[in-house]
Amino acid sequence: MNLATLFGTLQTKFGKQVESMHAEHGDEAYIFLGDPNIRPITEYLRGELQARLVSVFAEDRRSREGVFFNYYVFEQRGDTQFLIVRAPVPAADPRFPSLSAELPAVNWQEREIQDWFGLTAVGHPNPRRVALHDNWPDVHPLRKDFPIDTVLPPFEGERHIYRPALGEGVLQVPVGPVHAGTIEPGHFSFAVAGEPILYLQLRMFYTHKGTEKLFEKLPIHKAVFLAESISGDSSFSHGTAFCQAIERAAEIEVPSDALIMRTVLLELERLCNHVADIGAIATDVGFVVANAHASRLKEMLLAANEQLAGNRLLRGMVCIGGVRRAWGAWQVELLRVAIDAFTREFRDLVALINSSESTRDRLEHTGILKPEIARDLGIVGVGGRASGIDLDVRRDHPYAAYRHLSFKVPVYQVGDVWHRMQVRIDEVQESISMIREAASRNLSGQFRVPVPPIPPNRCALSAVEGWRGEIIHWIRTGSDNRLERCKIKDPSLNNWPALVEAVQGNIIADFPVINKSFNLSYSGTDR
Amino acid sequence: MIEVLVKSVIQLILLLLVAPLVTGIIRTLKARLQTRRGPGIGQPYRDLFKLLRKGMVIPNTASWIFSATPYIVFGTAALVGLMIPMTATDAPLSLFGGVLAVVYLLALGRFFLALGGLDTGSSFGGLGSSREMTISAIAEPAMMLAIFTVALSANSTNLSEMARSAVSQSWRFLAPSQILAFSGLFIVLIAETGRIPVDNPATHLELTMIHEAMLLEYSGPYLALIEWGASIKQLVLMTLLVNTFFPFGLSSSWMVSGLSLGLVFYLLKLLLLACCIVLVETTNAKLRLFRVPELLAVAFILGALALISTFLF
Repeated sequence: MNLATLFGTLQTKFGKQVESMHAEHGDEAYIFLGDPNIRPITEYLRGELQARLVSVFAEDRRSREGVFFNYYVFEQRGDTQFLIVRAPVPAADPRFPSLSAELPAVNWQEREIQDWFGLTAVGHPNPRRVALHDNWPDVHPLRKDFPIDTVLPPFEGERHIYRPALGEGVLQVPVGPVHAGTIEPGHFSFAVAGEPILYLQLRMFYTHKGTEKLFEKLPIHKAVFLAESISGDSSFSHGTAFCQAIERAAEIEVPSDALIMRTVLLELERLCNHVADIGAIATDVGFVVANAHASRLKEMLLAANEQLAGNRLLRGMVCIGGVRRAWGAWQVELLRVAIDAFTREFRDLVALINSSESTRDRLEHTGILKPEIARDLGIVGVGGRASGIDLDVRRDHPYAAYRHLSFKVPVYQVGDVWHRMQVRIDEVQESISMIREAASRNLSGQFRVPVPPIPPNRCALSAVEGWRGEIIHWIRTGSDNRLERCKIKDPSLNNWPALVEAVQGNIIADFPVINKSFNLSYSGTDR
Repeated sequence: MIEVLVKSVIQLILLLLVAPLVTGIIRTLKARLQTRRGPGIGQPYRDLFKLLRKGMVIPNTASWIFSATPYIVFGTAALVGLMIPMTATDAPLSLFGGVLAVVYLLALGRFFLALGGLDTGSSFGGLGSSREMTISAIAEPAMMLAIFTVALSANSTNLSEMARSAVSQSWRFLAPSQILAFSGLFIVLIAETGRIPVDNPATHLELTMIHEAMLLEYSGPYLALIEWGASIKQLVLMTLLVNTFFPFGLSSSWMVSGLSLGLVFYLLKLLLLACCIVLVETTNAKLRLFRVPELLAVAFILGALALISTFLF
């Protein structure tokens, strides 16, 4: 919708509450509200405009403007513009209305605001702590008056109390937070009746590192490295999302060759992780041969990554203003050869998996996430697309070189493990053709532009389709080459609750493969 | 008396040494088929050696059952090992009805293993024990039926007698009843040794484990005893399969020349059977847990058909 028209409509509908509106960087529209009451406007945007609430986050602006701000990021299908509604939360009465009852997708995000900023979500159906554990003292680390070097006293008091599962023959099976194998910590509390799972309770945020606070401390060019380590397997996606945000705020024009290179590397990251996931899903049903081949394929790509980026996991390649190094003709040729070999071998891997009836039997009808539940929970990425959620940032808000590439977004309605794997297989094929197309261009031009001083007090939103799904970075620049605020949203944050729904009614022995089919990041969630 | 003792000692040494070797060979073959190098066939020996020297962590909640279980599991497996013909048709021991004792001694070991899993009160142990019992409830009768088929054709439940009768008509395994019984017993072997498609011996996922879940609380020498016992049990079942159906090379006496020839044949047959197991494990995914009883029901029906066809043909 045209911005002026929208503003007119909103003003006639909501009167003085809607104070002003302006567009930034072409596709971010900010609407400033005069009071915290977000409910009516959200209802209108979600109801009549069919907008989707992408993210909710807060900012402490007490020192400058005397209030906290809550930001509600919306997107509309078919519109590349993000609609960002800003509502003030008075410092004297830090409360805002909760949307979680109607919109479970923001459940954890509102509770994060409670924990980190000390703003109360009024009417939240389950206002217990989520981001800071129950034994934390009463502090709100993302407030500006909380120094980053604060040393907290040793934590005491009650750990999280899980809801009891009662009934004859109902048993509580605790798993984690420390798991077998090299994975990150998270606690899963299953209520089981024999083998079938009745109910699963999750506890995350064991690896909370205060990343968003750390961003406010580092010089911007160093913060790129921090962005790369938000979630180890999505280094390049998070790094790119962060650099894009800075580039938008400082109005830096990235050379087109660098955009193409970023696109290639983003797709390489997707390929590596998707093929590893396909193998891991096969392992979890005991079909280890498929994993052996998937690991081999992943290794082929990692070796190519090293030649292209100097790092197997693509770290240290993206930088503000482009990419850190150019590609010679031999590197482009190497990429082409690697992709050709990968394509052949990947076809064999898919054939191997399809030929194994016993694997298919295990994966079909296992861990079904129904589309309507996925919609309520705001599931994004692979898990969403397997359950009928047709979202892909590359198509909906094109960045890097995606607007020049043609690709299909695979969407299935079934939502079982088999289809989550199928989405990955389809996306691998799309990625291959995208890399081929992008690498056929001549990439000998400029790959990086000099970065001017970053102007203070600029806001920018950046979205990237990481291999897991939609990654959102929102920044406000500060003085002295620092950031005032950096909000990070990893797709895992939305998607963890999907696991709770998907496992219900399945047997506990199938949990690992259902979990693997989502393969969510602990570190990205916990930050 | 002394003769029995000498035979028992020889066979016991053979059992203790060959059992980890078979496990090592299976693991190495699997690794090769997965394009891995694998840790080598000597790894089970090194593991046992390492575990035997380590200290133990015993949960506070554990009772005497927890401590008795490793000895019972190891002891029953070794005892059963002395009752089956390995290289010679005469087994060192023949106790209470031969093959029936074999089945029930193995069941005793399994019973205590399940108790040991439950004893500590850990939820994974409980899961493992309940799964193990579900599976063995069908695996056991299937095994009995298959073995009875062989016993019927030998007119004896004494394993040495069965082996002698098999040697005397060495092409008998081509009879329909024998083929059916062999197939049934092969499925039981897969289930009893915790292999894909029934259980995954290499998984790290506690929630999917059967056999391994019962062992999670064990460590050090106790774990070594159970692991060793499990590999002896595997060897016993494999021996039962190769020697009662394919008695080639079984020595009819305990003379050195006969025994060494018998040993070569025996190891070759084990190697072939190990290859079959590895192929099944590599080409299949693990079954859904609730599908496992269906597979074992197939073994049961094969056993039943085998028994019936003994009277028909």
